[in-house]
Amino acid sequence: MKIKNIITVLLCAVFLFGMSAWCFSGQTPEYSESERRLLEGFPEVSWDKISSGKFASEFEKYSTDRFPMRDTFRTIKAYARLYGFMQKDNNDLFTADGHLSKVIYPHNPVMTDHATELFSTVRDKYFPNLDKDTENKIYLAVIPDKNRYLAADNGYLSLDYDEINTIIQEKMPYANYIEVSDLLSADDYYFTDTHWRQDKIVDVAERLKAEMNHKSSVEYKENIMPYDFNGVYVGQSALIVEPDTITYLTNDIIDNLVVEGANGVYDMTKVQSKDPYEMFLSGTQPVIKLTNPKNTTGDRLVIFRDSFGSSIAPLLVDAYSEVTLVDLRYVNSSILDMFVDFSDADVLFMYSTVLLNDSLSMK
Amino acid sequence: MLFSGIPFLYYFLPCVLLLYFITPKKLKNLTLLLTSLVFYAWGEPRLVILMLITVSIGYGFGLLTEFVPRVKRLWLILALVFELGFLVYFKYVDFFITNFNAVTGLSVPLLQVALPIGISFYTFQIVSYNIDVYRGDVPAQRNPIDLAAYIALFPQLIAGPIVRYSDVVAQLKERTHSFDKIALGIRRFILGLSKKILIANVLGELCDTFKASDDKSVLFYWIYAIAFCLHVYFDFSGYSDMAIGLGKIFGFDFMENFNYPFISKSATEFWRRWHMSLGSWFRDYVYIPMGGSRVNKGRMFLNILVVWLLTGFWHGAAWNFIVWGLYFAVLLLIEKVFILKFLNKSKVLSHIYLLFFVMISFVIFNAASMGEAFEYIGAMFGAGDNPLISAETLYYLRSYIVVIVIAAIGATPLPKKLVSAPKFLQYAEPVVLLGLLAVCTAYLVDGSFNPFLYFRF
Repeated sequence: MKIKNIITVLLCAVFLFGMSAWCFSGQTPEYSESERRLLEGFPEVSWDKISSGKFASEFEKYSTDRFPMRDTFRTIKAYARLYGFMQKDNNDLFTADGHLSKVIYPHNPVMTDHATELFSTVRDKYFPNLDKDTENKIYLAVIPDKNRYLAADNGYLSLDYDEINTIIQEKMPYANYIEVSDLLSADDYYFTDTHWRQDKIVDVAERLKAEMNHKSSVEYKENIMPYDFNGVYVGQSALIVEPDTITYLTNDIIDNLVVEGANGVYDMTKVQSKDPYEMFLSGTQPVIKLTNPKNTTGDRLVIFRDSFGSSIAPLLVDAYSEVTLVDLRYVNSSILDMFVDFSDADVLFMYSTVLLNDSLSMK
Repeated sequence: MLFSGIPFLYYFLPCVLLLYFITPKKLKNLTLLLTSLVFYAWGEPRLVILMLITVSIGYGFGLLTEFVPRVKRLWLILALVFELGFLVYFKYVDFFITNFNAVTGLSVPLLQVALPIGISFYTFQIVSYNIDVYRGDVPAQRNPIDLAAYIALFPQLIAGPIVRYSDVVAQLKERTHSFDKIALGIRRFILGLSKKILIANVLGELCDTFKASDDKSVLFYWIYAIAFCLHVYFDFSGYSDMAIGLGKIFGFDFMENFNYPFISKSATEFWRRWHMSLGSWFRDYVYIPMGGSRVNKGRMFLNILVVWLLTGFWHGAAWNFIVWGLYFAVLLLIEKVFILKFLNKSKVLSHIYLLFFVMISFVIFNAASMGEAFEYIGAMFGAGDNPLISAETLYYLRSYIVVIVIAAIGATPLPKKLVSAPKFLQYAEPVVLLGLLAVCTAYLVDGSFNPFLYFRF
């Protein structure tokens, strides 16, 4: 027993003092690649902060964020929680049917209301004469997040997607609703990311075009990006999983598009960035205009969209002479007329349930 | 500073250990005192002064009691007035004002005094010191550093156990340090840390989820009641284990605070096993001086009611704590007079009885108001419009069932028996402890839910 006690003391002392020395050295990264965020810096030292206890709480955040081997410890915790204690999720993230996903629950009606009220304000201000039945029309498409196809079947909490669709349609009576959820399945989304895969949504694009009276079907060439794609959930979950690959579609029309507001339809500078999905129309851009010189009808479409729109927009553009994408998270709705021409254009509101249930970022 | 936090584990503790073990023997108490003051001042630097004033008062009146024994009762009364006065002012004044306003219809403004961490614990310690000196059970401490080190000793400063001066006075002068004792301390500390982080925090998360849920069901209310019971036990006993473990590393032997309370067969037995240092404090310094049970029945009932009212009130300045204390008083009285002899006859029934009433008690304990307590207890029995079961309830049940089962088994002596039986498990102990420390660290690094319930006491 004496030896056991000596081993206990020595092992724990080496671990404790070793990690402590590492902590004191401050030799830990300032940025977390896996979590895609800047980690807390050492708090400013001042008497005010110390006496108010603020220094202590900031130091707590700093010491936790900048703990040595942070990613390894996060992985240990994820496995302990999901497989040791058999909990259903870790920080709301879970694995099901080979997918990483995040619990999106419960439905937040305040957020849905905020989104639909904003859409109505935009409509009243910029295209008040457009309706369901006017020459140019307003359309609405709700993109279900992948939990629609994963959560309930695997025992996870799930939004009532049909109820959300109904609520949104009721709040936007001026828009023609286009159903797309029947065309999708879990495998149409990346395994490690929240987004859908461009190569799996050609049918969705065709449905949208057809419902907007611009029926069109074109052929695409599949191009596989020769890099691993670790989606946003990989870092958040801290689990060790197989990476995805990004496949993007090209054809003569896409190759000849004139793009304003983004670094090309497929931005190759983003392929090895923190978020490779941003290769689609350069990711977070407020307003992008795609001009299609091969379509001379003069038909125009304005899409209010989130990041799901980046990958599907290139598949819609063959039916229009011009497609403008507006992301209300990055441009204030009150100054849209400075950047967007709404005249003689159809308008499509196309949003994912992820954003509709958490819409405060739209202004 | 929390024991279960990175700043304590990887910044404060290693520094203190180094300092303590390189310090010459005669300066060890001073080292402990100074580091304890840093520990206390970490979150609330200003309130460290209040603690030092309290210690000075206890020290001064302790000496006066010994040197001027003719009026020693006066010294004791003065000491208690100051020490308990601070406690009443800092902890209860707004409660009294609120209730005064409610009764009189006046609107006396609240003082909104910040509650100094651990004031209930260190006040009871210094009070016990002054009473013990008054009774002549211990000599007054001449060395202010030793007395301050006893009160401020960081392992037990903010959440107990309530260490009696008489229990550690000898250890303040002379204590032994050995590999065996340090190993024992490490084991106790890591087990306590694991109870706190891997069980209590996770169950606390479930309780918070329940409270935030808009989709409660009858079953969810029951899950909450069970989870909160286990949460409080693992939170507080985990912290006590850490305190006792740290004490051992520094050469002290603190009294045990929990002895598997959920295996009790009656509320009477439960309180012999739950927060033992508080129970024995009230027994020795309130109940017995009031006559205890060596008085007529009516007086004894009054004594019990007073002690449990104070016990409840000690836990917090709110009516639900007072009701919680009185609830146990009534249970204990009923047991004493009627049912204790029946409870002793059936093990199964008595366990069910105890667990049921303890569970209900903790629903009262954790309620934001008495209205909420009644609402929750009612909902457990079908009152309100809650469905029997809901999708959300089932989800959280499936997600937390393993933790709940581990906690339920862990609250009994079974794991201790299992681990101590086969020899190979004992030899694996160092690796298991290191593994637990690593997993706890992982939970801290990735987690945000780490409150400590008994901080508010």
